[in-house]
Amino acid sequence: MRNQIEFEVSGKYALFTDPLTKLGGEKFSYQIPTYQALKGIVESIYWKPTLIWIIDEVRIMNPIQTESKGMRPIEYSGGNTLAYYTYLRDVRYQVKAHFIFNPHREDLIHDQNEHKHHNIAKRAVQVGGRRDIFLGTRECQGYVEHCQFGEDESFYDRIGELDFGTMLHGISYPDETGSNEREVRLWKAKMQHGVIRFIRPDECTLIRKAGEGTAKIFGSENMQSVDDLHSEWFDNEVNK
Amino acid sequence: MSWLANLSKTYDDHANVVGQFEMKKNGKEYALIPISHTTQTAHIEVHLNGRGDIVNAYVVDKNDGSTIIPCTEASASRTSAPVPYPLFDKLSYVAGDYTQFCGEAKGTPYQDYLNQLKAWCESPFSHPKVQSVLHYVSKGTLITDLVERGILHVDSRGKLLEKWVAAPGDQEGKKPDIFNVIASDQSGAFVRFAVDIPGEPESRLWRDASVQQSFIQFYEMSLQDKDICFVTGDYLPVADKHASRIRHSGDKSKLISANDSSGFTYRGRFRTSRDAATVSYEASQKGHNALKWLIDKQGTTMDGKVFLVWGSSRLDMPEPQEDSFIFWDDADDEAALAGGDRTHKEFALQIRKAINGYRYDGDYQSSHEVTIMTLDAATPGRMSIMYYRTLDQNIYLDRIQAWHESCYWLHRYRKNKYDKLVSFIGAPATKDIAFAAYGPRASDKVVKGLMERMLPCIIDERPIPLDIIRSSIHRASNPVGMDNWEWEKTLSITCALVRKDHQQDHKKEGYGVSLDTEATDRSYLFGRMLAIADVLERSALSKDEKRATNAIRYMNAFAQRPGRTWTIIQSNLQPYQAKMGTGARYYNSLLDEVGAKLRLEDYTDKPLTGLYLLGFYSQRNDLYTSKKDKEAAAALNHNDENENQMNEQGDN
Repeated sequence: MRNQIEFEVSGKYALFTDPLTKLGGEKFSYQIPTYQALKGIVESIYWKPTLIWIIDEVRIMNPIQTESKGMRPIEYSGGNTLAYYTYLRDVRYQVKAHFIFNPHREDLIHDQNEHKHHNIAKRAVQVGGRRDIFLGTRECQGYVEHCQFGEDESFYDRIGELDFGTMLHGISYPDETGSNEREVRLWKAKMQHGVIRFIRPDECTLIRKAGEGTAKIFGSENMQSVDDLHSEWFDNEVNK
Repeated sequence: MSWLANLSKTYDDHANVVGQFEMKKNGKEYALIPISHTTQTAHIEVHLNGRGDIVNAYVVDKNDGSTIIPCTEASASRTSAPVPYPLFDKLSYVAGDYTQFCGEAKGTPYQDYLNQLKAWCESPFSHPKVQSVLHYVSKGTLITDLVERGILHVDSRGKLLEKWVAAPGDQEGKKPDIFNVIASDQSGAFVRFAVDIPGEPESRLWRDASVQQSFIQFYEMSLQDKDICFVTGDYLPVADKHASRIRHSGDKSKLISANDSSGFTYRGRFRTSRDAATVSYEASQKGHNALKWLIDKQGTTMDGKVFLVWGSSRLDMPEPQEDSFIFWDDADDEAALAGGDRTHKEFALQIRKAINGYRYDGDYQSSHEVTIMTLDAATPGRMSIMYYRTLDQNIYLDRIQAWHESCYWLHRYRKNKYDKLVSFIGAPATKDIAFAAYGPRASDKVVKGLMERMLPCIIDERPIPLDIIRSSIHRASNPVGMDNWEWEKTLSITCALVRKDHQQDHKKEGYGVSLDTEATDRSYLFGRMLAIADVLERSALSKDEKRATNAIRYMNAFAQRPGRTWTIIQSNLQPYQAKMGTGARYYNSLLDEVGAKLRLEDYTDKPLTGLYLLGFYSQRNDLYTSKKDKEAAAALNHNDENENQMNEQGDN
């Protein structure tokens, strides 16, 4: 495919917080990564405002195991408190994702060069991503490697269907929807032979509003073209 | 499935037992409570007739007080502010003449109670028996009636007595029942109603399923606030408050709490807890009620930490933290347990037989899952799910079976139903492993931590953490520091751990309990020599000389510096060999035989590995097993009474 990347992400721990346990603060992880968590990982590998990443599939390689740790989160009101966080341990996922161009970024139409972005994205996967990768939360460092989706053996290869019920799909932010509302999307997750095929964000039917916001505006004030940067750096050198 | 959806499904699967009380071993009652209901202890039972007149009243016996009562979200979590329960409540709510007998109450509890009950009776889901109750309580004569019937007692000013004081001349006077069942004063008595209608079999409103249904429907109607439920995915009435009292009746911590608006738990992306997540009233009620029921029914609690295992097709499952002893049917298998037939094959067969009893061999289409869940609270208000795992039932049973068949040894610390110590072959309980590793005075906190750490070793077949094994070996090598029974228990548990660890390392069947005369492992051989020295000296001592042998006294040093310590042990052995004369010949030749197996380069001061304990145990066991018994065992005959090696063991 001309706009698809495949990679494997692994880590010692992962915490895809179940929103029910987020309210009180004793965080407990979902059994499988959410769409939004994987999207965040892909965006850490490579992202530009021109792009919207769509996650197609994830393959769960290791058995789903949990482990809890005592944590001392800082309280907003001062001091700190003790909480038990429950993490997934020893995780490994194969991910397939593709990008589309953001239709709400008309100012970046000149950047919509699929060939260029695809090649950059592939190179970014080869070097393990451009920015640091984390699995769900910041304390769970993850590592990205290129892979062929479906290679190797998964623990769940022989398990026909596993139903995870209703879970969070992701959050729709104004910069990708064009509307000024922030929305929480839910979906019913199912795993077949270790593979979860995500529905696209616009296919989600369970949507609730969760506040408002506006898209960040990119313009000449906060963006610089590569050509300008190049001349800024290397023209000076020449002049020395 | 998510944990709450899974619990909610368990509730639906067992809807047929909703509201039915079962009895625990300790006499406590528990039940799967219907939604919109909770349990309370009632003190007074009032019987009415169909027209709403009082017929009779009793003080409820302490053991019979557990009552399922309807409740609203607000009343379920009421604290000091008066919020009435819908049907049964304390005197201050249900008695219209409360102020007359007890003085002013805070707020208007009686009026609130009456209004709530009226709303129920006027709704389309009203129930005739509830109407009788409404009819009666609106008369406002409850306390007067109870005083008249001698249930409640007043003082000279006509107020309710605060506590019972026997009249001076009346020492024989019996304390009225009400003061036996209620801890505080009479005004705090909880009242429940029964309505006797001829022809109706169930007069007790708290056991009447039709009354429960009537309230559930009425309350559902009053829930207007709908949203998408994060558990079911449906658009349903939403719960704002979630259940507490999950582990036990005094437990205030909640799994889902939403009042942390000052912490950094959801703030940032979301402003209110509603933005972050919503759960439907039904899913929350069903899930929490099922969880409470399961914990009451089959949970194991250790210092507040709850270990829970249940199956979807069959609730009770063998628990990971238990030892193999639970699989032995102590009535008929006594001979097989204690007998000489200790082959691994026979033992494995027994385990397999016991575990197969749990397997489900019905239709293979539907999934049969086992859920393992561990709960604990770090702070009083909030509870955390510490471990959660759903597994296919057969995989789970395979894992349990593998654990019992790999981490086994011959133990002798469990008692049978006749309170007699019996020996059994099998895996130790995780709790006993904790005592082996950290000593009998280990705090509950440490024990529960180890129990949780052992869970993945059993369920995921992970290797046992090295620190646990090392600590156990260290303690087992130091017999002088503890009582004999404790050391024997530590030793056999450590042997089980070392065996399991060794087997896992070498990916093959490890050492068994029976002596492996072919083994050439240095530690194993040194262990055998230590055992021979121990047995030799012990048999030279008279029966009533209970002191530790030299071998036992030097065990710790021996494990660290076997070469040098053996020289000491051997020189100390000299007088006993001399004392026994020709009687020591067998031991001496055995020592020579084992010593000959040791290669010269192995005879050093390099510390021994845990395997020496296996060599020690097996050799000692072998020496104490009489020749006749060995022959009988070899012929695969069941025999008995060869446990004399531990006849000096103290009481556990």
